[in-house]
Amino acid sequence: MAEMEERSVDGATNEMIEKATQDGVLTVFDRAENMRPCPIGAEGSCCKLCSMGPCRLPAPRRREETPEEKDNRRGVCGATIETIAARNFVRMVAAGTSAHSDHARTVVEAFIQAAKGEGSDFGILDEQKLLQVALDFGIEIAGRTSREIALELGEEALKEFGKPDGTLKFLERAPLRRQQVWEEQNSKPRAIDREVVECLHRTVMGVDLDYKHLFQQASRTALADGWGGSMLATELQDIMLGTPVPTTGKVNLGVLRHDAVNIVVHGHEPLLPEMLVVASQDKELRAAAAANGATGGINLSGICCSANEVLMRHGVPLAGNMLQQELAVVSGAVEAMVVDVQCIMQSLPKVADCYHTEVMTVSHKAKLPGAIHIEMDDAAPLAAAKEIVRRAIDNYPNRAQSKVNIPDHSVDLVAGFSHETIGYLLGGLFRASYKPLNENIINGRIRGVAGVVGCTNARVKHEDIHTQLVRELVKNDVLVIQTGCAAMACAKIGLMTPEAAHLHAGPGLAEVCETVGIPPVLHMGSCVDNSRILMAATAMVKEGGLGDDLSDLPVAGAAPEWMAEKAIAIGQYFVASGVYTVFGVTWPTVGSPEVTDWLMDEISESYGGKWAFEPDPIKMAKLMIDHIDEKRKALGLDEARERVLFDMEMRRDLDAV
Amino acid sequence: MAEKTAQKAQRTVGEETYEPGVPDGPQNWRHKLRDRDEMLRYLETGERYWFSDEWYGSEKRRTPA
Ligand code: SF4
Repeated sequence: MAEMEERSVDGATNEMIEKATQDGVLTVFDRAENMRPCPIGAEGSCCKLCSMGPCRLPAPRRREETPEEKDNRRGVCGATIETIAARNFVRMVAAGTSAHSDHARTVVEAFIQAAKGEGSDFGILDEQKLLQVALDFGIEIAGRTSREIALELGEEALKEFGKPDGTLKFLERAPLRRQQVWEEQNSKPRAIDREVVECLHRTVMGVDLDYKHLFQQASRTALADGWGGSMLATELQDIMLGTPVPTTGKVNLGVLRHDAVNIVVHGHEPLLPEMLVVASQDKELRAAAAANGATGGINLSGICCSANEVLMRHGVPLAGNMLQQELAVVSGAVEAMVVDVQCIMQSLPKVADCYHTEVMTVSHKAKLPGAIHIEMDDAAPLAAAKEIVRRAIDNYPNRAQSKVNIPDHSVDLVAGFSHETIGYLLGGLFRASYKPLNENIINGRIRGVAGVVGCTNARVKHEDIHTQLVRELVKNDVLVIQTGCAAMACAKIGLMTPEAAHLHAGPGLAEVCETVGIPPVLHMGSCVDNSRILMAATAMVKEGGLGDDLSDLPVAGAAPEWMAEKAIAIGQYFVASGVYTVFGVTWPTVGSPEVTDWLMDEISESYGGKWAFEPDPIKMAKLMIDHIDEKRKALGLDEARERVLFDMEMRRDLDAV
Repeated sequence: MAEKTAQKAQRTVGEETYEPGVPDGPQNWRHKLRDRDEMLRYLETGERYWFSDEWYGSEKRRTPA
């Protein structure tokens, strides 16, 4: 039991791991313990790009490599370790970018259908944002209906994936200085698909063999994710489904209910989850649930970013993050686990075999042996959603009470902090502004801003690094913005309620949060919504007083428990946007000290941003805070903060008298 | 934990200046934008960093876009 408790800092997770063991079910936590990571692959020193390999080229252990050894560390084809490490990294960026951007393509296609109004379950919910994005795309809005504008916008958005000329439209949203940097580095993405394809081509055996040149393409591709695919997904989803506004919710496996049909939606795209919200409120279906004995009706909750999407727009509770997907099934209380794309464990049907849960796939892109496939129409998923809910209701009587154990853990949170909502909360409807944020950074109450995002990873204690890091940051007056599974980790320890300011934040940050009525840790949404962070940071630059570029801001980013290729793509677009970005757990190029040094130092000469790797959360916080302080100093703000802290000290002394 | 308690005990500013607890339901401020005129006006105010000529913050000092 003591050993079990060490797997997570979250009580619900530990309880369910123990239950899985008792039920004879293997989970990701067992598999991670039973199989150690390959040390050669982990450091990026394995190449399997051609059939003369795989070539395994590990660095010498516990000693410096001699120059001769380094020169001889080559694959059969002659590729150096630098080329091999860089190619592996670039392919991760390409894969991550393709995931966010293929999600975006699905959204754009559904958006076009919604604009046409033909057989679509969706419409235009946020007309203001439609006008805004249409103007970004140079689309005429005067005298045209929303549908006409939306149709042209959808068609133009679709061209962003494969247009033959020009560069991506949303790059023009970035600060002017940043656009200039991209121009100088030849890193402005052209079309999204083109950049991914070029990554794959350039990393084929015997093409681009200069690692610095390979990273130029990695940056261009990653920027096609952040300022392209991810931003398109966020913006068009907002137009179709609504821009997030402050919304309350709950998080953790305790949101599952004994008296209700529990449907858990897991994955990333919000289209089906939106319609599951509608279907779960359908009168007939609720009556059917009651008739089957579910007096509490239909209870929808979510895992991963599907959950974040419907939390942000509807307050649908979060059952948990990526590592908790199997554990939701282990509760014995889930009638249906519905999955679409990304971060889905193939073990789900095997876990479900021990209970009554039906695992259902819905995307034409992703099937899973052992699951029931109910293919949805991306533009009109309500029919599939209703069928899923019906099946779940039918499955409710199969729940074996003897196998049910819903952990008694759930915590309140406030979500919905789109960049628009932050501006509104800071300034009001027609005075929406980032001025109060900048002013409080300038006067030193807020030291800086940190984006803490990304996955959870079974190679480290679940949520431990996230929670320690974010606690340390807010204690030091750093405002934290979050997305993805990272956000859920911190919500679970109560950091996403307004009270958290008083309980956890340093005095300056607490004062600002309490005045505005916001938590010290802001939930900005799903992983594609990291594009909201880019927009918020751009608003800070454009507001003024904090430099001319994203790289001037006292901000830092982190993915403390990352695991997916998508995280590498996100990290690379933040670095290429000028942000200092720290990753934990492991670093995929350590097999090449030269490449690693370049990514963690020299790359900043080109982009202003750079990478860092630090597995210890307190040291990670220190790196981020030191960077923030360095930027404050460069802006001449270091004295302002000392003055504020001195005032605080004096006020405390006076208070104590 | 001891550190956190100590910090809380030292706090002197801002206490109870906010409403404890979480709000009921979404605060849908975007519904306040009732018609296209208001939406376009909001672009020049709320989204002025991107849509107003007068507002470029730090960038104002640089060559305009
Ligand atoms: S491409 Fe070169 S390094 Fe890679 S597997 Fe083939 S021979 Fe080995």
